[in-house]
Amino acid sequence: MKAILFLSLAFLKKRKRQTIVSTLGFAISVTAFIVMSSIMFGFQKYFIQQVIDIEAHISIKPKEEIAEDRLIRRVDNESLIKALGSRPKEKDKILGWRDIMKRLEEHPEILGVAPHLESKGILKYGAKEKPVSLIGIEPFLEARTSVIERFLEKKNLSSLETHKDSIIIGKIVARDLGITETGKRVVLTLPNGQTKIMKVVDFFNSGITNIDASRVYIPLKTLQALLERVDEVNVLIIRIRDVKRAEALARELRAEIKYEVESWQKAYLNFLKIFKIQNMITYMIVFAIITVSAFGIFNIIMMTVMEKRKEIAILMAMGYSSKDITLIFLCIGLITSVLGGLLGFIFAYGILEYLANLDLELEGLLKSKGFILDRSPYYYLLGFVLSFLFSLIASLYPAYRASKLNPVEIFRSL
Amino acid sequence: MVLLELRDITKRVGQELILKRVSLRVETGEFIAIIGPSGSGKSSLLYIMGLLDRPTSGTILYRNEIIEWKDAVINRLRNQKLGFVFQFHYLIPELNVLENVMAPQLKAGRSYGEAKERALELLTRLGLDAKSKRQVFEISGGEMQRVAIARALANNPEILLCDEPTGNLDTKNTQRVMEIFEELNQEGTTIVMVTHDMSLAERAKRVIEMRDGEIVADR
Ligand SMILES: Nc1ncnc2c1ncn2[C@@H]1O[C@H](COP(=O)(O)OP(=O)(O)OP(=O)(O)O)[C@@H](O)[C@H]1O
Ligand SMILES: [Mg+2]
Repeated sequence: MKAILFLSLAFLKKRKRQTIVSTLGFAISVTAFIVMSSIMFGFQKYFIQQVIDIEAHISIKPKEEIAEDRLIRRVDNESLIKALGSRPKEKDKILGWRDIMKRLEEHPEILGVAPHLESKGILKYGAKEKPVSLIGIEPFLEARTSVIERFLEKKNLSSLETHKDSIIIGKIVARDLGITETGKRVVLTLPNGQTKIMKVVDFFNSGITNIDASRVYIPLKTLQALLERVDEVNVLIIRIRDVKRAEALARELRAEIKYEVESWQKAYLNFLKIFKIQNMITYMIVFAIITVSAFGIFNIIMMTVMEKRKEIAILMAMGYSSKDITLIFLCIGLITSVLGGLLGFIFAYGILEYLANLDLELEGLLKSKGFILDRSPYYYLLGFVLSFLFSLIASLYPAYRASKLNPVEIFRSL
Repeated sequence: MVLLELRDITKRVGQELILKRVSLRVETGEFIAIIGPSGSGKSSLLYIMGLLDRPTSGTILYRNEIIEWKDAVINRLRNQKLGFVFQFHYLIPELNVLENVMAPQLKAGRSYGEAKERALELLTRLGLDAKSKRQVFEISGGEMQRVAIARALANNPEILLCDEPTGNLDTKNTQRVMEIFEELNQEGTTIVMVTHDMSLAERAKRVIEMRDGEIVADR
């Protein structure tokens, strides 16, 4: 092993330019892997965490009407016209919600349940108008079922309890209306034409653009009164102990509850799918980079083997076995990737450090100050292992070729 | 004592028989010159004696033991018992003079320090101590060949096999190499040397002449 290291290091040292180029190739791959993983997963994990904190882990709502279903059923019964005329619209409410809540709260995996009445509305401030998603909440119960207070700038959830005309509005709603501080009065208009002047008591800032740009909280009782839907709710939100169990638990609940039971994974399925595609594309790019550097090392080692036939022959004459020769060239590839990997760590650390301290406003799916990074050492390890494996694969064939050279043929050819 | 013995060695390359049932015994301490016209099979014979090439048929014995053609056995013999010097020096340009002489020793398992010490000792003996830190391409052709000899001697081989070792050298360097061989032989190293040069062959104790893949004279 001593002899093998001695020779592979000599080859690496004396062929500096090649060594530097191939080391840089691996360094760039490892850097790309670490930086892209940190950015991508940083963003995705943050997004999911925010979603888990704000949104119901599981929500219960009235089933959506599927008109086609009914139509076809009636057509089968040869009474299409009647079917169209008499299609009953299921009421947008949960019957017996207090009983359901009580039952759910006894479930050992459920931490809390809260009622919602959700509706559309329009907020007006001065000349500006903005359509919003209205949620009527019981502040005390709400606090038990989501980490809503974490996102409130003034932590003033209790105002909703004490003042019937309190309203908490999303940060982007506020920005679009031109409201910069609490205490301002806005006009809320509901689908039934009712209007009410509300007082902004807090801002809601989750960072998730589509929530902050539409969501508005008001007291449940106020919304019920405005919509003339006394004691009605149309959503129950559930917080559970283990968020990963949401889908399994939702399935379990579906058996007992005749309403739609939806886990957060289902509700955010589109986002999760987009993340998957995003991950795939990113990794395809990273793999392309690693593949290029692997081809680089393949080429260099292959060339070295071809140029070094004489040296390989004399090493064999000295008693170096085929295995030794294989190992010498494998070591050349592997040492390159290890050096490249370590250099990549330094590059990646530097870039992430820079990105982490970057002061810029980003607004896409998420609104954030600077990049949200997941700076896990796991990505360093994985990037390192990947480039190591790729260089192993790339060096294997040339190393094997070197070991199969016949020294006599080489001695004769000179 | 018979050091190396070939029995009925045949080597076929394609349709051509380049060695035809060659038998040969090399005794400890001999200095053998192999002569013969070009293409007569001198190199082919030397490659087989040096376990670099596997005969098509026949038996090779080392110290009266039949050699099994297994990688581990062959490589150990090549490393420990045999030393090669070719017409071309085959020095490794990525290694300096000293390191070239260390390479076979490291394979033998010697420590870096031991290998270095032994290499310096050999280079000093061959008058190259001042050049030990030089790169291979920074020394003359005669010096390169002497480094190659030092490398062949690095693990104290029992037989030194040389294929026209002076073929690329001028008279002065040729004389120097021959003196080295004679000195080594006096100290007990067995030497087998292929040469075209009759005056050099005369200096050997035994001369084997080859023709068309056969030994035609042995004196
Ligand atoms: N790989 C090969 N393919 C075809 N023929 C070969 C091969 N190797 C050797 N030969 C033939 O074997 C014969 C012996 O070759 P060898 O090199 O042993 O001769 P030699 O006596 O060393 O000659 P020289 O003095 O020119 O070095 C020659 O006829 C050569 O052409
Ligand atoms: Mg020859």
